[in-house]
Amino acid sequence: MTFATQFFSDMVLYTLPMLGGAIYTVTLTLVTGFLSIPLGFIFTLLRVSHSKIAQAITGFYVWVVRGTPLLLQLFFIYFALPYMPFVGQYLVFQKFPAACIAFVLNYAAYFCEIFRGGLLSIDNGQYEAAKVLGFNRYQTMTKIVIPQMVKVVLPAVSNECITLVKDTALIISIGVTEVLYFAKVAVNRDVTPLPLLFAAMLYLLLNLVLTRVFRRLEKRYAY
Amino acid sequence: MAMIETSNLVKSFDDLEVLKGIDFSMEKGEITAILGASGSGKSTFLRCLIDLEKVQDGSIWIEGNALVENGVYPTDKVCRQVCAKMGMVFQHFNLFPHMTVRDNLTMPAVLNDGMDKKEALHKCRTLLEKVGLADKELSLPSQLSGGQKQRVAIARALMRDPHVLLFDEPTSSLDPEIAGEVLEVIKDLATEKAVTMIIVTHQIGFAREVASRVVFMENGHVLADGTPEEVINNPESERVQTFLKKVL
Repeated sequence: MTFATQFFSDMVLYTLPMLGGAIYTVTLTLVTGFLSIPLGFIFTLLRVSHSKIAQAITGFYVWVVRGTPLLLQLFFIYFALPYMPFVGQYLVFQKFPAACIAFVLNYAAYFCEIFRGGLLSIDNGQYEAAKVLGFNRYQTMTKIVIPQMVKVVLPAVSNECITLVKDTALIISIGVTEVLYFAKVAVNRDVTPLPLLFAAMLYLLLNLVLTRVFRRLEKRYAY
Repeated sequence: MAMIETSNLVKSFDDLEVLKGIDFSMEKGEITAILGASGSGKSTFLRCLIDLEKVQDGSIWIEGNALVENGVYPTDKVCRQVCAKMGMVFQHFNLFPHMTVRDNLTMPAVLNDGMDKKEALHKCRTLLEKVGLADKELSLPSQLSGGQKQRVAIARALMRDPHVLLFDEPTSSLDPEIAGEVLEVIKDLATEKAVTMIIVTHQIGFAREVASRVVFMENGHVLADGTPEEVINNPESERVQTFLKKVL
């Protein structure tokens, strides 16, 4: 067998089970993306609101979530929440839902800060022009501010999503059989570095797609 | 009934008192230029009139409707209604960069003034022609020069058929050559006499030519108020004389 055919058959052999694991990677990425972005934006609105209480709560939340490892948060939600006094029995989650909760809550904090930066970048003159043209607060946000904010935050959001794809590998630590799990098992079983190489290619492929999507979005918002 | 009337307007930013009891009244069709050094309160005064700044004390009436009375404001909705027939042109244009020139003009009119889309488009085209930018309808603001942007901003303000148009240093961020094209548009508007205008400006020559009345502000007070002839050509106040000597 030539090197090329050997390499190809190894790739098929090792990658097939990984594709099963990739379902978790992709699902977790999508769930986190679609839930944490709107949640992060809600946090942003609370953070920039006039209410001191809302500001304090979201400020504290962002501080805690950004200041502690995601791995710790994952462990906390999966292993520790069930031991909480009184409410623990209602906080027992399966592995994958626990991972989703940890990721959504974690990424929402980062998106909150990214969107806050985006909001701060909008010139005050835009709000003033909207006001003298009769826009109310809601219309000012939806028609004037958010469309401009999207352009500003897209590169940072894109960056965060790429990190998200890679971070999904962390869920191996609570026993979810995602891509890296199969790679690790195969490395140990067959004493070969190839599975990790193929796993890396899988992540790269996912991020290539993501990068393309964001590049297209950035082009759409170029003005 | 006065178009705009203010009484004892007081406005401060923290400890800094910017307007110190301004009494001002203006009739329909008048074109007032407000002159004064930087920090004299002229821009703040203008911004208070259209509710971009809240005063601490005093009253403002727009066409007889109170925007604020003795420092007390009605609800946001009422304020919006009172200011609905006022337009403003800013120093930095403040066009919406993510919309084409056409959308900048039509979107607010359709959304906030209940104008029919077709009607808005027709009006947009008429106004763009008026300011000499008929060919820029589908351009984005980033594709326009400063002077063009300001002319679009004027057209946008005119979309709402304002009874009063406020200009806050409309040519200050433009070089003198380009400023001319914007001043021409304002001059044309002035000759039509359809809109009452207040223009905060540093262009003394322009004020003399266009305004029917000139107000000179200094340190939060109105120092001189009269025809351009009285205030610019034969100023009584020594302070106005020194200011004019410096800028002319």
